[in-house]
Amino acid sequence: MAVEEKLKKIQKIYIEKINSASSLKDLDEVFLKLFGKSGEITLLPKDFSRLSKEELKKVGPIFNEVKQSLEQAVEKKRDEIREGGYKKLEQEKLDLVDSGHTGLARMTGGHLHPLTAFENEIVKLFSRLGFQLFEAPQVDSDYYNFESLNIHKEHPARDLWDTLFIDKYNLPKNSDRLLLRTHTSNAQVRIMKQFKPPIRMMVLDRCFRYENLDARHEHTFDQFELVYVDKGLSMANLQYLSEYFLKSVLGKDVEVRMRPKYYPFVEPGVGIDGTCIFCKGKGCKVCGNLGWLELGGAGMIHPQVLKNGGINPEIYSGIAWGPGLERILMLKHGIEDLRLFRSGDLEFLKKF
Amino acid sequence: MKISIDWLKELVQIKDLDEVIHLLPLRTIGTKEITEQFIELDMKGYNRSDLLSIRGIAREVAAITDSKINFVELTDDQFFWVKKSLGSTPVSIKDEELCIVQAVAKIEGLKVEHSNDIWVKKLSESGMRSINNIADITNLVMLEYGHPLHAFDGSTVKDETINVRRAKEGEQITTLDGKLRKLTNEDLVLADTEKALDVAGVMGGKNTEVKKTTSTILLSASLFNPIMVRQTSNRLKLRSEASRRFYHGLTKKRLFQALDAAIRMYLSIGGKLTSLTIVGESDDQVKKIPLSLKKVNDLIGIELDKVQVEDYLIKLNFELRPEKNAEREIAWVVTPPYYRLDIEIEEDLVEEVARMYGYERIKPHKLSGKLPEKIDQSLFSLISKLKTTLVDLGLTEVQTYSFYSTKVFNALGFNDESKKVLIKLENPMSSETEYLRMNLWPNLLEVIDKNIRENNLRDIAIFEIGKIFYINKEGKQNEKYVLSVALMNNTDNPLAELFVMYQKLNKQLKLGIENTKVSEEGAKKLGLFHPNRIIQLIRKNKAIGDLGEVHKRVTDKIGINQRVAILEIGIPKFLI
Repeated sequence: MAVEEKLKKIQKIYIEKINSASSLKDLDEVFLKLFGKSGEITLLPKDFSRLSKEELKKVGPIFNEVKQSLEQAVEKKRDEIREGGYKKLEQEKLDLVDSGHTGLARMTGGHLHPLTAFENEIVKLFSRLGFQLFEAPQVDSDYYNFESLNIHKEHPARDLWDTLFIDKYNLPKNSDRLLLRTHTSNAQVRIMKQFKPPIRMMVLDRCFRYENLDARHEHTFDQFELVYVDKGLSMANLQYLSEYFLKSVLGKDVEVRMRPKYYPFVEPGVGIDGTCIFCKGKGCKVCGNLGWLELGGAGMIHPQVLKNGGINPEIYSGIAWGPGLERILMLKHGIEDLRLFRSGDLEFLKKF
Repeated sequence: MKISIDWLKELVQIKDLDEVIHLLPLRTIGTKEITEQFIELDMKGYNRSDLLSIRGIAREVAAITDSKINFVELTDDQFFWVKKSLGSTPVSIKDEELCIVQAVAKIEGLKVEHSNDIWVKKLSESGMRSINNIADITNLVMLEYGHPLHAFDGSTVKDETINVRRAKEGEQITTLDGKLRKLTNEDLVLADTEKALDVAGVMGGKNTEVKKTTSTILLSASLFNPIMVRQTSNRLKLRSEASRRFYHGLTKKRLFQALDAAIRMYLSIGGKLTSLTIVGESDDQVKKIPLSLKKVNDLIGIELDKVQVEDYLIKLNFELRPEKNAEREIAWVVTPPYYRLDIEIEEDLVEEVARMYGYERIKPHKLSGKLPEKIDQSLFSLISKLKTTLVDLGLTEVQTYSFYSTKVFNALGFNDESKKVLIKLENPMSSETEYLRMNLWPNLLEVIDKNIRENNLRDIAIFEIGKIFYINKEGKQNEKYVLSVALMNNTDNPLAELFVMYQKLNKQLKLGIENTKVSEEGAKKLGLFHPNRIIQLIRKNKAIGDLGEVHKRVTDKIGINQRVAILEIGIPKFLI
């Protein structure tokens, strides 16, 4: 039989079968007969090798059209059968009498997310030093996330942050440029405008950046930010805070050192390293044989930023500090894949 | 930026290479890869343009290891062209704000050939490939001096004229990489009397590229406005070695040093300098910044004396003039070296002293001073209590992304009108991260689906507290914390168990929630929930959330074969 005729016959027979299917199970069987391993549509292209180029040109589009119409018919019938099932829901009543069913999970107790547990630990640690929590928006303006922090538009330092911007199509045309905050530092000038020194604030919250997901890269991450403004603050206080934090979280043996680093909103700016907990500083694959791991950036708040917050840099100095939390947790617990934190994988979460 | 070690050794006397490798990240800048041939610096986002030249690195190395520099910078009267009678070519600057200096040197009698082995080695160790002797000289000079130069094939420049002007709106040029670029009048070009030759500060044009037959070049050295270069480079999404250097600002002094060095190199391959034209009067800015010893010690938290501070800064080529400040304390007026464009305020000077001292030597000081007043922490303590109570009730906390995946978005049945309440990203990584979530429970459904399929679980009780986002009635963006609980217990009526949990939570934390049955019309409108199994939650006469069984239509679309019940309440209203 010519291929064209064969196609039309299959279409006619199966459309009828599809339309007369009465359950999803029936429909699945019809689907398999068409598209399964030995399905009629699956096997048909084998006939094509017998055709000439001319014939193929004609048959090709017809084949695609038949295939598509059958697929659509199956989908449509599926939805129809389902909707029929949904109608039955209206006969079910509201029944709040619990038959005493307590799921397996409830017998064994639940688990706090490892990031929450870590954050609780940090809050406790810094509450002892008089720090309090502050909340800043996750959708924020370019001003609070960048400009007020001395990070001007077109500044090469913006390379450090790959920003996710908000589409304004459903927002007022003249509104500020909005973005997903790239760091918890968008809280800094807000804090300074709202509170006068002495200031001891911490922000522990979610940040975002343009990043494609893989084991070592994430677009969503939690950051811990300290904003500390008072008279006479120095880099020596910054060293103290870094040691206080890292020794408590990673162990007393961890040494902490500062290195020169550049961020537009601090001067001097530092990068904070801790001894590699895997090789205890001797050098290994994880730390690139340096013996040290990079754990965060920090510095003395830039006088321009203090001014933007209405604070006189001649009288006060400030410390800003912001490690990323997932990274430290990964080191602490030997977690290899960043994506596990937000995958919802209960087997992973149950370990904490 | 890759620094050839052998080349570096030519410019500064290195006694101990290991010491240099060890000290660079501690005193100057982090390093990426280090091989026998090169040291790669981590320049991402860095503000020091002087480190984009081997001479600049040499100066740093000399300062931090107390070593001798092997080169001497030429002074104005020592440049090659001084006291020589040379012709000139037509050069003009049409926009003085965007181009501060433009120099053009005409060099004739050249023959395009392969570069010698030494040049090839220097380029390759610096991560650049050798092209030909003429092009290589511009790259070698750029690498050593940090100032980009460009060689135009003289025969292709009409009337040998180089005018620096704004591009015409829509003007086009094919750049050296073969791509056609459309320019705006915010961009600057070098042009002859007919056409654009070069996107200023970014990339030269293909039409004037040096080719095998080139014998005369017009060597161009410029000083452009860094903001203009950044804007053009960002808009065209075109980054080059040249634009990187222009971003941070360059200096007239270096321009002349680079021009001089290039000319001498062209001469060494048989060229002859027949004309030189320099347009643009302004000189490099000389900064004078006050510094007090007290500020240094207070900000760093150490006790240095006058001599130590002077010693550190002098090693870095800063000039200090002692001048007591208003408080009659020890202070100076400091002049940074001309190539340190990043030094602007007193704190920048303090950083220079601190890094020479060694950040790693700073001893910790405990915090002192008055503690601030206590402020309202009720949001955080409520969230914390909710989490702890739910964990005690046997639920596991999950965290999901702040976006709707396409699967969830489709399952929720948004249409072009209804989706306008969602906050959308302008530049998402993919369609999976296009929309911000306006509720939490749909993502929890995805978590349930994942755990059924991958972990074979038949009983899942999870919660999440996180922010949701939406556009409010006034058209403004809004975000708030929300608690969501999802339960799948392999029964036909998970709502029954969830209801018990909700009551326990309500009672233990004294949340004061009351529940009412949603009217039949109300439930049908909601569409996402079972028509009869949906309860509205109220507190102090305000609606604060829902408790109900998810409609099978939604769970089917996610791929879940089981019944799921959810609870979702907004948190801020509890703080009133």
